[in-house]
Amino acid sequence: MANTDMYGKPTTGLEREVLAVYEALKSIVARDDLPPCVASNAREALACLWQAANDLDLAFEQLYDLGV
Amino acid sequence: MRMDQMYWNPKNETMPKKDLAALQLHKLKRMTAWAYERSPFHRERWAAAHFHPDQLTELKDIARIPFMTREDWMASIQESPMYGTLPTAPEELAIRYHLTSGTSGRTPIRVLDGPKDWKWISEMWAIGFWGFGVRPADTVYFAFGYGSFIGFWGAHYACEKIGAMVIPGGAQTTEARVRQIVEMGATVVCSTPTYALRLQQQASLMGIDLAKEGKVQRIILSGEPGGSIPALKRQIEHAWGAKAGDTAGMTELGTIMIFECDHQPGGTHIIEDNFYEEVIDPVSEQPVKYGELGERVVTSFGRGFIPTIRYRTQDMVVRLPHTTCTCGRTGDIYEGGIRGRWDDMKTVRGTNVYPRAVEAIVREYEVIDEFQIYLWRQESQRDEITIKVELKPGHEADWPALEPRLATDLSNAHEGLRFILERMPEGSLPRFELKARRMVDARPKADYEN
Repeated sequence: MANTDMYGKPTTGLEREVLAVYEALKSIVARDDLPPCVASNAREALACLWQAANDLDLAFEQLYDLGV
Repeated sequence: MRMDQMYWNPKNETMPKKDLAALQLHKLKRMTAWAYERSPFHRERWAAAHFHPDQLTELKDIARIPFMTREDWMASIQESPMYGTLPTAPEELAIRYHLTSGTSGRTPIRVLDGPKDWKWISEMWAIGFWGFGVRPADTVYFAFGYGSFIGFWGAHYACEKIGAMVIPGGAQTTEARVRQIVEMGATVVCSTPTYALRLQQQASLMGIDLAKEGKVQRIILSGEPGGSIPALKRQIEHAWGAKAGDTAGMTELGTIMIFECDHQPGGTHIIEDNFYEEVIDPVSEQPVKYGELGERVVTSFGRGFIPTIRYRTQDMVVRLPHTTCTCGRTGDIYEGGIRGRWDDMKTVRGTNVYPRAVEAIVREYEVIDEFQIYLWRQESQRDEITIKVELKPGHEADWPALEPRLATDLSNAHEGLRFILERMPEGSLPRFELKARRMVDARPKADYEN
C-alpha cells in the first residue's frame, strides 16, 4: 500500500483505508463471475471510491475497461 | 459528515501552491498519456505538432501541446459521426449522452460519459455548493428543464451527494415553479441569472413577495455571465432577500470549473486540483499577467472519456491571486467570473460591443424589466444599435428621465458610440429560462464576418 500520495506527501491512516477499499473494489469488479446485481452495484461503489481516492490525491487512473 | 467543515475537500482546497503544482503535473502527465494512447483525435494532432506526453517534465511544458478548439472538435464529429475521434473508449461503455446548448447557433457538440465521470461531474458542483454554504438541511429547488442540455444535471446529483433535499423543477410554468418554491420552503434556488429575475417578476404578478414569504437564503446562478455583474446580482439579492453566488461551467467539461464562495470576493475560485487553467492573449496566444483580460484555456483532469486538453474556451476572464479572497482557499480567482465571450463581440461603426458590458450598464437601472440589443443598418449604409427596453409595471413615468441618462451611460462606455433607445410595450420582448439571447443582429449577413 502506498505510503505517500500522488505528490509525495505521507498518507494518513484514513487515506490508506480509503485506498484499500478502492483496490478491493477494483478486484471485485474485475471478476467475470458476478451476478448482475453485484456487478452493477460494485461498479457504482467503485466509481464513488474512485472519486474519493482522486479527492485525496491517492489515485488517478481511468477505469472504463472495468465499465466504470 | 462534519457540518463545521467550511471546505468540501480541505486537503486540496487549501493546498499550498507548490503541492498544487506537483499534483497538477502528475495529473497532466497521466491524462495526456491516456489521451495519446486512446484518443486518435489527440494522438494525430499532437504527432503533427511534434508533441509527445514524455516531453512534459514541468508544468510550463504544457505550452508544447497544441491548442484544441471547438472547430477542431466539430470537424472531427462531422468527419466521424456521431462522436468524432476524441472518445477514448467505445460508446457502449458510456452511460450518458448530452449535448451543448448551441448558444452561438452552431451545431451542438455531443458528449459521452462513463460512471466515474458522473461522480466527478457532481463532485465539482459539490465543491461549489458546499463552498457557498449549501448543507444537508437545505431544500434545493432546480428551475431547470432536465433535457439533453447538461445544465444543472450535475448540480442535482451534487445536492443528493451532500444530503440536501432536491426538488427537480422540471418542465413547469414559471407560475407553478414560484408556487412550488414557496410551498415547499426551498432554501436554495438554482437558475440562470435571467431566470432568477423572471421568477421574481412572476412572483410579483402573483402578489408574492419572495423576500418575505419565501425561505430562500441562497440563489446559485449559472449558465450566463450575469451571475457576477454587480448590478444584476444586487437586484436578484434584493428581490429574493437571499445571497446570490455565481458559478460557471461548460458542456465540453460536463461541469463547473469555477464557483463563488460564501465570502463573495467579487469573483469565482478556480477548482485548480481538477483543472489547469491558462489565460492567454487571444491574438498573440501568449500568457497574460494577473489582472489582465484574456481568454481562458482549460485542461480538465476529470472526464477521461473525452479528454479536453488545452481547450480554447473563448471565455473572457481576468485572473487574480487566491489571496484576493479571505476564505483560505488557494484556488486563484476570476474577478467578475466569466466576463463574456470573445466571439460574442460585435463591431458597430468601428466600436466593439459586448452583450455583457451593455447588460452591466442597463442593469444599473432597476426599473428596467427586460431589454434587447438590436443591431441594424440604416438605408443600407450606416450601422445602428438600438436598445429596446421594457420598464417594470408602474414605472412608465420614469422613461423621459431614464432615456437620455441610459443613452449617455452606454455611449460613454463605448467610445462615444450613439445608442438609440426604444421603449417597448410590457411583455413584448422575449423571456428566457436558459442562456438568454438578448443580442439580435439584423444587419445584412453577407457583409459581416463576426
